[in-house]
Amino acid sequence: MNHPTSNTPLLQVNGVTVRFGGLTAVDDVSFDVHQGDLLGLIGPNGAGKTTMMRAIIGVVQPTVGSVFLGGESLNGLPIHKRIQKGMSLSQQLVRPLRDMSIQENVALAAASDKTISPLRAFLNVSTDRELAVAQTELARVGIVSMASQSPSIQPLGVLKRLELARALALKPRLLLLDEPLAGLNSQEARALATTIAEINQQGLTIVLIEHNLGEVMRICQRLVVLDNGKKIGDGDPRVVMADPVVRAAYLGGDALGASEAQGHSTLETQRA
Amino acid sequence: MLAIELVAQGLIQGSIYALVALGLTLVYGLLRILHVAHAALFTLGGYVGVLVCNASGSLALGFLIAALVAGFGGVAMFRLAYQPLLSKPPYVALIASIGLFIASEEAFRIIFGAQGMSFTNPALQQQLVLGWGLQFKLAEILVMVSTASIIGVLAWLQARTRIGIACQATVSDPQMAQSFGISLLKVRDINFFVGSALAGFAGVWVALLNNLVEPTMGSVPSYKALAIIVLGGLGSVPGTLAAALLLGVIEAFGTIYLGDILDRNAIAFAFLIAVLMVRPQGLFARS
Amino acid sequence: MNYEISLITTMAIAVMFALSLNLITGFCGQISLGHATFQGIGAYAAAMLGKAGWPFLATLPVSMVLAGLLGVIVGLASLRVRADFLAITTMGVGFLFVGIVRQQESLGGELGVSSIPDHGLGRVGFMALALLMCAGIAALSVYIKRSWMGRVFNGIAEDEDTMRVLGIDVPRYKLAAFAMGTSLAGLSGAFYTYHLTFIGAESFGFVESITVLSMVVFGGIGSVPGVIIAAALLSVLPAWFQVIGDYKLLVYGGLLFVMMRFSPGGMAGLAARFFPTTPLVKGGKP
Repeated sequence: MNHPTSNTPLLQVNGVTVRFGGLTAVDDVSFDVHQGDLLGLIGPNGAGKTTMMRAIIGVVQPTVGSVFLGGESLNGLPIHKRIQKGMSLSQQLVRPLRDMSIQENVALAAASDKTISPLRAFLNVSTDRELAVAQTELARVGIVSMASQSPSIQPLGVLKRLELARALALKPRLLLLDEPLAGLNSQEARALATTIAEINQQGLTIVLIEHNLGEVMRICQRLVVLDNGKKIGDGDPRVVMADPVVRAAYLGGDALGASEAQGHSTLETQRA
Repeated sequence: MLAIELVAQGLIQGSIYALVALGLTLVYGLLRILHVAHAALFTLGGYVGVLVCNASGSLALGFLIAALVAGFGGVAMFRLAYQPLLSKPPYVALIASIGLFIASEEAFRIIFGAQGMSFTNPALQQQLVLGWGLQFKLAEILVMVSTASIIGVLAWLQARTRIGIACQATVSDPQMAQSFGISLLKVRDINFFVGSALAGFAGVWVALLNNLVEPTMGSVPSYKALAIIVLGGLGSVPGTLAAALLLGVIEAFGTIYLGDILDRNAIAFAFLIAVLMVRPQGLFARS
Repeated sequence: MNYEISLITTMAIAVMFALSLNLITGFCGQISLGHATFQGIGAYAAAMLGKAGWPFLATLPVSMVLAGLLGVIVGLASLRVRADFLAITTMGVGFLFVGIVRQQESLGGELGVSSIPDHGLGRVGFMALALLMCAGIAALSVYIKRSWMGRVFNGIAEDEDTMRVLGIDVPRYKLAAFAMGTSLAGLSGAFYTYHLTFIGAESFGFVESITVLSMVVFGGIGSVPGVIIAAALLSVLPAWFQVIGDYKLLVYGGLLFVMMRFSPGGMAGLAARFFPTTPLVKGGKP
């Protein structure tokens, strides 16, 4: 247990339950994520996906159970410590720092070794290396031409890619993406999903929450399905989506609304 | 016996704090602004009350006009000072409020003089003997009674009437409230009016209790009101009342027993800090 | 000449004080309504030591360390409470300080501490040292702004939750800002003591805390030159306009209100509007 072998999953969610007052948002959920996976965490509205993500990142603490990163328990660790241990998050509600340019946003993330303590940050002035890293990551997500512009004038599609670049600049072992395609039209969503798949192919382990089932089916190698806080599916996307329990969860009232909002029905997705 | 007296004194003082703090908590709960200038409306109410009462001979009229003037003064502050600054970072409104507060204290001093004003014929000064050796001025009893009834009515209004519920909705989710057709502006106006009127009302009471209105009388109650809204839970009417009364009583005991170490104002804040260390979200906040 | 020297020294001390708050508020976004407490701690430390025979220069490091230490304690306490409670908590600390000091006979009680011994530097020497300190603090501030520490502070001031997600130990940075700002406030306090040769608890109360905050905001939060100018001007405003004399606070309050209403970026914001420099980023603020 002290020496993580290559068989130790990068992320282990063990029997995590999250309760708020009388409400159980996540109910005894367990799953593993292995190095190199591209895992989609899906489920109808209110299934507990966001809470699960928050428990992994540290915004909420599990009432029961624990989360392990590379064999190390994350329980009780504050958010920034978890980030320092090698995970990074791209948030659903994009929040770029508006006082600086796009590349400066990414450079700030790239400077994580210099900013690890106030003293070290105080002693370091040069930004050359970080700006270079920023250029690389911005190129990787395809928005390097806007590097010196302000985030305030950018459309959502660009901001989503900025979130991604920032998360990548932290050089994580595990990348968490919270609804990266939300709010994008089908073209933009397809393009960004492709980019995400490419990044995974370059070797980065990725977990993403997403409502856009079409793209999820296209790029994810594995799905974990939540409904009402419980895990109801885990495995190959096609197999999981064919499971009657999963289909029932999605074709229930909430799910219908969710898929209508995406502009296509769940059944269409199966044919795609 | 001494203890009961102290409790009573504390409740009287606490009632005043409650009236002032209520306006503050309504504004903070609504807009996240530390409305320091609220103190000016308290003082304004005091002056208006004394002037009207001295001119007309009627204390009731004094109360009424003071409350109205303070109420409208509060709305004017909102429209002129805070509303234009809602989109800016919170410190902007805070500093603007501080500027307003300093300027108004000075304005009172310049207009009315630094020595202050008194009632020509202070009413409600009769002593009432209550047994257990307790003796109070009628005014002191009435302050507590009126505070309790007003706050009771407000709490009821907030919970049971459309306007009250609209106010609560505006605090917790302004956008959703708007989509339900609630006019944010109207709700905010009402909040400022009610809170400021209460402050003005409290100002007249203090003028009556001390038989003095002077330019700086607003500062101390308003600083403590800031502490109270933290203790009581933002936007919570019952919480603010409880915290205000509790603070009044703690102060009364504290001045006697801790007077060697701390002065009166410090006691209030020592209490605040002690509570926050144990319960960072405040005394009565629903966490 | 003596009058002018005294005036400049007053201005220098105010600038030191304001720049120290600028580190906390301007750089790190924490609104402190009790900063005068830390100037007071430094002032009282210097006063007590001075009367015990310590030379002036020796009191400086002690004032700084003591103020900084208490600053860290207050900072740690403040971190526990919600962000919007920070202002009120610091205000409470301010009242607590004044309340305690006033009741302590050993600290002079209500009457304060007087007959502070001479600093031995002569009028001009003292002024020169004060100005040197100002320059030093200003240089430090500018350096911090350019360093990664400044960038992190900036980020925390704008959106601290996002900074956490970027792996920044936000509480530690806030504490660092607090420690630096409060110890420098203590330094200004020591100078204050020896300049006035008499101090009292009420010189470090709530009004003084909001005064220095107003200087920072008036100058433009985060702007080193703005804060220097604002502090220098506002600290001697009544001296310059004798006619204002009686109306000084009215003017002061009115100025604050008008500035916030029409240029929340303070003087620095106004300057940026009238002398726009090329924006660093396309479409961004200058």
